[in-house]
Amino acid sequence: MFSGTKTAYAYIVARTRVMKSRLLKPEDYKKMLNMSFDEIVRFLEETEYKKEIDAVAYKYTGPRLLDYALYANLAKTYRKIYQVSFGEVKDLIGEYFARWDLWNIINIIRGKMANVNPEIIEETLVPAGQFSEAELKSMLTKEMGEIVKSLEHTPYYNVLSKIGSIPMYKIEDELYKAYYSKLLKISAERIETKLFLNFIKMEIDIKNVKTLLRLKESGESTEEIIDCIIPGGYELTEDEIRKLASLSYEELLKSLEDYWFSKALEKFESLSEAEVNFDRLWIETIAKRASNYPLSILPVLQYIVLKKVEVDDLRILGWGKWFNFSNEEIEKQMVII
Amino acid sequence: MVEALIGDEAFIRGCAAIGASLAVGLSGIGAGIAESGIGAAAVGATAEDREFFGLGILFTVIPETIVIFGLVVSFMLIFAM
Repeated sequence: MFSGTKTAYAYIVARTRVMKSRLLKPEDYKKMLNMSFDEIVRFLEETEYKKEIDAVAYKYTGPRLLDYALYANLAKTYRKIYQVSFGEVKDLIGEYFARWDLWNIINIIRGKMANVNPEIIEETLVPAGQFSEAELKSMLTKEMGEIVKSLEHTPYYNVLSKIGSIPMYKIEDELYKAYYSKLLKISAERIETKLFLNFIKMEIDIKNVKTLLRLKESGESTEEIIDCIIPGGYELTEDEIRKLASLSYEELLKSLEDYWFSKALEKFESLSEAEVNFDRLWIETIAKRASNYPLSILPVLQYIVLKKVEVDDLRILGWGKWFNFSNEEIEKQMVII
Repeated sequence: MVEALIGDEAFIRGCAAIGASLAVGLSGIGAGIAESGIGAAAVGATAEDREFFGLGILFTVIPETIVIFGLVVSFMLIFAM
């Protein structure tokens, strides 16, 4: 009665803090960098990933084994966070995890378009969003038109109904725009939801600045860039982006020095290095904000982001080792905090 | 008028009893509010790792000290009168 919301936050924050303590440490990555692929899999079998690796080990080998096991563990972890939370925090986490619905929808559609075996598509799904595993499986048995029709009640229907008339990459962009626009409609009257919305806006900034730099470097037109931008950023508003997109690449880099993410652009040799810097800065920013607001959704989101980064790092490590990349090359691509 | 009906000593004893009940009651409510958040966090941490059970209990009972203060005040009010 007095602090129902705070209690819900206290419970899930304490839980995710303990889960965070079980994430792999930088020294684990250092150790794994000096291992062969098989040794890495064996090492991971002594961690949280054991169950998932054992479950797919009879079916797959090599980096695909690692991919499926890592994504299965990610889905399990995210589902757990959603299931054990309650109250307002559960609603916010549910909204945030809707991005995995997009991931699944896009995978199913792309798979159907390329006539991929449904079993293979199924293994790429991460049922961490609002669609249950059963709903996703039923989608796999349907034709494209039926899949789109079954999503009629979702905010993605309008975009999905354009399949066939516009390229798939535009459909993907539009889907993510619809997702973020739904998130930004959440009322920011209370401090808890305001913090969540600011987090989302900052995430949009990071995504937009990466898109902006990539497209600018490849010489795309201002209109083409604006088309790919997600509206509703924290500092990078649509007008700001329009202004930035019209600048040359060198002028753009100079102008980006005034924004909250400018630190990521202080030192980089290639754009992929700058992108890793952005991810690192993003994680540091969330960590700072999460410690400033310990009884909010931020520590939970921090864990959610860190878990995804861990899975991405392990995939980079696995694929890098499998294809005999040098340790320096692999380490450059990883976001180790 | 009340004093005329019940007398000085009885009036003071009555006030002391009300004070004692408020001391215990309000400190109990305060401790309850404080413990709700700590208890929820302790249960959350313990659900993930059983090793947090002892530490969780310890943190959860810390606000109980407020109730002990309330109890001491109430004893003083009742027995020192």
